Amino acid sequence: MTKSRLTAATVAMVATAGLLLTGCAGGAAGAGDSGEKKLTFMFRGGPDEQKAYEKAVGEFEEANGVDVNIIVTTADQYPTKLKAAIAGRQIPDVFYIGPGDLQAYVKNGIVKDITEYVEGSDTIDLDNIWDHGVDSYRFDGELIGQGAIYALPKDVGPFSFGYNKTMFEAAGIPLPDVDEPYTLEEFVDVAKQLTKDTNGDGTLDQWGTGLNVQWNLQPFVWGNGADWLNEDRTKVTVDTPEFAEALQWFADLQNVHGVTPSVGEAQTLDTYQRWMKGEIGFFPVAPWDLSTYEKLDFEWDTIPYPAGVSGETSAWIGTLGIAVSNSTKHPDEAVKLVEYLTANEEAQQTLVDAGIQIPNLKDMAETWAADTSTMPANKQEFLQIVTDYGRGLPGGNTYNGEWYDEFFTNIQPVIDGKMTAADYLAEVQPKMQAFLDSANQQAGIGG
Amino acid sequence: MTTTTRRPTLQRSTLHRTEHRAALAFVAIPVLGFLIFTLYPLLYSVYASFTSWNGLSAPIFVGIDNYIAMANDPYFLQSMWNTLFMMLGIPIGLVISLVLALALNRKMRATTFFRTVYYLPVISSIAAVAILWQWAYNGDFGLINQTLAFVGIDGPNWLQNTATVKPALMIMAIWKGLGYSMLLYLAALQSVPRHLYEAAALDGAGTIQQFRNITLPMVRPVTFFLVVTSVIGGSQIFVEVNIMTPTGGPEFSSATIVWYIWQKAFDNLQMGYASSMSIVLGLLVFLITFIQFRLNRRNQFSIE
Repeated sequence: MTKSRLTAATVAMVATAGLLLTGCAGGAAGAGDSGEKKLTFMFRGGPDEQKAYEKAVGEFEEANGVDVNIIVTTADQYPTKLKAAIAGRQIPDVFYIGPGDLQAYVKNGIVKDITEYVEGSDTIDLDNIWDHGVDSYRFDGELIGQGAIYALPKDVGPFSFGYNKTMFEAAGIPLPDVDEPYTLEEFVDVAKQLTKDTNGDGTLDQWGTGLNVQWNLQPFVWGNGADWLNEDRTKVTVDTPEFAEALQWFADLQNVHGVTPSVGEAQTLDTYQRWMKGEIGFFPVAPWDLSTYEKLDFEWDTIPYPAGVSGETSAWIGTLGIAVSNSTKHPDEAVKLVEYLTANEEAQQTLVDAGIQIPNLKDMAETWAADTSTMPANKQEFLQIVTDYGRGLPGGNTYNGEWYDEFFTNIQPVIDGKMTAADYLAEVQPKMQAFLDSANQQAGIGG
Repeated sequence: MTTTTRRPTLQRSTLHRTEHRAALAFVAIPVLGFLIFTLYPLLYSVYASFTSWNGLSAPIFVGIDNYIAMANDPYFLQSMWNTLFMMLGIPIGLVISLVLALALNRKMRATTFFRTVYYLPVISSIAAVAILWQWAYNGDFGLINQTLAFVGIDGPNWLQNTATVKPALMIMAIWKGLGYSMLLYLAALQSVPRHLYEAAALDGAGTIQQFRNITLPMVRPVTFFLVVTSVIGGSQIFVEVNIMTPTGGPEFSSATIVWYIWQKAFDNLQMGYASSMSIVLGLLVFLITFIQFRLNRRNQFSIE
């Protein structure tokens, strides 16, 4: 009896396993046998992106006789789902990748070197795409920014600076120059003039600015001639006097000069809301804000960020890329799909019209920027950031961003004026360096 | 038919065999599910905890390096502490839900309505609820601070303040779990035999004595069940933390252990290290639950 039960159990298990296997195989065989080529495209994004890409994908399917299966996730879930897909060896043929992940994905053979495909392509003209966009996905085994191409940009996101024109006019302050950046002193001076109590109830209801350290500190650090890393990205350089000066100045806006809403009110969301209510003079403007800012009931425009001792303005550029999996069965079609998504004019137009990004194509961007009838009039500033003075976020150039996150984890006491910038930087540098060393070691570069 | 009459015994055994076979096939499905989706991942994560693994390529065996790193990782210790701290909400939640259950156990109007009200958070999506509370906690125009302003209190910026972010998350977790514990207590209260109270009343026991000597011991099994499941659940608190304080809160003050594990595994390509932390967490939860069972057994003896 025991024996027969055992046999029965084995039979049952084999049968069930067989069922499972055929179930899986059925799916794969179905795709292969029908003769139709099938690609999977995984991305994240809002309804506007979905709409734009569905259109481009439809067009691509028609032109190439390829069936594309689209997987959309929310921004939060995307990294988890993609990594699960990779761990399960079900890597989508085409997917989004941030510059911060590129190094690891290339090192581990997940993404395909598409240099040959795109350079010889007739669907896409690399010269017509922003250099920063393409270069963010170049990697030579040591440094991001040079070498073979592993992805094409979905977009480039120049994080510009804006001001409330209506507020300036009401206060009788001369408008800022669109080409000549303020010095740090001039900026504080103007911000002070803008900070006031407009209705005479004894409390401030209008401020010069209100900036979030995580997303706004970079231009002031760079503009002051400092940076997070050295050239070959092996050393954390936040403990320099220039860096300390920039961070201290940033904190002083609130604690010494009082030109921002008070500590309790200074969180991003709140100053963002206040800017939109017309209570803030200077505030960052990103391409993905344009559709929201269109509805503002005051006039505004973009200007270069104030410059520190270097005398030069700077800003950061965000970007997201579209890469091809190394394990794809149809590399030609997959690369072609990437090209469609990157450079398809109609899709680009949909995204630009939706007010969430600037055009990926240089000629198209020129036409877009030449239109000064919609705000901001100085759209050129976005293009100058991309072509001229913008840089990638520091955390995006290394194997992982842990060392960069560490910088912001305990920074609040500095912003609140409870700790000096120099003290904080001296304390955080070794911790950041340790994270960077371990990241570089994992990547097999540097010390 | 002919076989039946000739060899009845054999027929019976074949019939049994087919039945057994069918039964085993049914049993095999959940067993296979367990083997493939629980046991295999569990064993693999034990293995992964001894490797340097980025989640993309093959793991490399490194011995106990991850465990050594963990002992020296201040963020690991802090996230453990944060998780423990937030578990202080569990007893508070149990007391409130027992009080609510007692209130709703009385004969009064609209009890069904109140039960529904208190149970509603339990069935609501945690993600939606977390976003709602994030707004409620907003320092400037959040519902909570506006309400506090009515009584003249200037509320803090809940989620941005190291001192208030953990209590804020605890309050929300208590609110979310209240209905569930309340319902279980309600069921337990209703199954307490009436005659115990009657007998106690005849012996001259007051309300408080009745509560201490009858109600509390009678709902004890439910309390035990709730404590065990809440501790297991509480040690894995993640979604609300990730949504309400996506960067781990001001100065890492709301980062829980599961949040830290998740961040290491999926943001910073350290799946091996993350696995070793989850092994430690799993062992701790097992240990705590074991101790609880032990204590519970001892207490039961003292009652008898």
